[in-house]
Amino acid sequence: MAAKKEDKVVSLEQAAGLVRDGDVVGLQGMGTQMAPMGMIRELIRAGKKRLKVVQLVGGIGMDWMIAAGCVEKVSYIIVNLDEFGMANNFRREVEAGRLEVEEYTEHQFLTRMQAGAKGLSFGVTRSGLGSQLLETHPDITKVIDCPFTGEKVIAVRALEPDVTILHAHRADKYGNVQFFPKPIWTDVDVFPRAAKKVIVTVEEIVDTDEIRRTPIHTGIPYFKVDAIVELPFGAHPCSLYPQYSFDREFFADYASESRTAEGTKKFLDKYVFGPKSHAEYLQLAGGAAALLRIRKWS
Amino acid sequence: MAEKFTDYTIDELMVVTLARQFTDDDIMLNGTVSFIPVSAALLARQTHAPGLTWVAGAVGVDADPGYIVGNTLDPTMWKNCVMYLPQLEDMWGYVCRNTLETFCIRGAQIDKFGNVNNSVIGDFKKPKVRLPGSAGMGDMATLDKKIYIWSTTHNSRTFVEKVDFLAAPGYLDGGDARQKLGLKNGPQIVITDLCVMDFEPTSKRMRLKSVHHGITPKQVQEKTGFELLMPDKVPETEAPTAEQIQILRDKVDPKSMRKLEFRGSETKV
Repeated sequence: MAAKKEDKVVSLEQAAGLVRDGDVVGLQGMGTQMAPMGMIRELIRAGKKRLKVVQLVGGIGMDWMIAAGCVEKVSYIIVNLDEFGMANNFRREVEAGRLEVEEYTEHQFLTRMQAGAKGLSFGVTRSGLGSQLLETHPDITKVIDCPFTGEKVIAVRALEPDVTILHAHRADKYGNVQFFPKPIWTDVDVFPRAAKKVIVTVEEIVDTDEIRRTPIHTGIPYFKVDAIVELPFGAHPCSLYPQYSFDREFFADYASESRTAEGTKKFLDKYVFGPKSHAEYLQLAGGAAALLRIRKWS
Repeated sequence: MAEKFTDYTIDELMVVTLARQFTDDDIMLNGTVSFIPVSAALLARQTHAPGLTWVAGAVGVDADPGYIVGNTLDPTMWKNCVMYLPQLEDMWGYVCRNTLETFCIRGAQIDKFGNVNNSVIGDFKKPKVRLPGSAGMGDMATLDKKIYIWSTTHNSRTFVEKVDFLAAPGYLDGGDARQKLGLKNGPQIVITDLCVMDFEPTSKRMRLKSVHHGITPKQVQEKTGFELLMPDKVPETEAPTAEQIQILRDKVDPKSMRKLEFRGSETKV
């Protein structure tokens, strides 16, 4: 599916309209890094349901979506908040039997996406032979013999997310998306290529001339992008290296509040459902002083 | 002979002991909240193994951040690297083909054959305790890595007869089980807050190698949920040198990030 070279700048609300209930949604980011948090808050406010969230390293955003009842199933290799500890809602909901999980080795997970991105029905890897993870998704991973050497390898079923969502440094209005440094992460590389639709929030929208001067930084071309939203500090409370760090105080607060379902609800009411705009959210999260602090990586 | 250096804490002893395993030939990368392995790599590089290659957070090749600023997966660790390793083709290519051969793992459960679990306690689908997940350990344990296991919670809940869920294969059921499956290398050593253990070459069972100062082999056995192989003589773990401790405290990890790994440990550092 190719997108045209046309103006794709939309509002958060409009972009959320591209995500349907029940979709397989790929998310960028890790425990504390580079997640499209502004878009995640919008999906929660829009009351999305039965989403199947696919994120290599699930973090605070996945935990919020789970807590808000948006998620039916999660696929991941690990879910945590880095040094802030467990993602408590993930833990609670899985232990209560209310959330389906698919855990992979990292290379199995990526090989699924890679196969999807190449239009193949499966990919192969040696990762995970002898691990019980294989038994937990027998319809996705199967041990087969190499047709040439007879060696045991694992066939993994391809995955094409319905939509993948990212937050990046900048883009033009057509959706040429740039990263600084140039794209190295798998979720800004293979996720968008495997997905049917791509939504990108960016720190700033720049002229196409500026993109043409610096094509080495372009990670996703316009023909793969469906919507662009300008959203400064759109990864907050996660980091966007090298522009700003994760918000240590915010994470510590959430790690503590999320120990109970009630604490989580209070937190989401305040930060997700309360603010009427992204600017209001940033104000609530500490405003200029907090933003200055994370820009200094302290 | 110089007086024996005794001014160290257990976190420091663990870092130094792990550092001593690394050589100039190692190329290692690290995962999240891995303060002890990263401290060990940086320390080894500044002492006996200047040629050791460390790929910071699996991204920053031969990085030199100065000291550990924040989490070990943070981009701040990439500082002064020679290359940002693109993850999909480059990093995973090197890992799958075993160009990168050294990796450190830890987990909520470790059994007598060095199998590791960080996924669940109880049933996988409806667990008693849901843990963060296996992350890269299922890859590294099956892609022929030399695995160094560390644990800050040496007790019978962590060291169990059999893991509830075998996410990262060590020597599986022992003997030649790992080899038969076509997996090379595997767990080399286990460093805990009480002792150092290795694996007996034939049975592949965990064996006590040394005990930290003030700990007895009997105490280690009491805190282990399976029968440890016990050599007749178990030496004390070699103490760090004053130089190693000074470099660790002043240069490698002045913010003492490594101590974060002792949350939930009975050992106070």
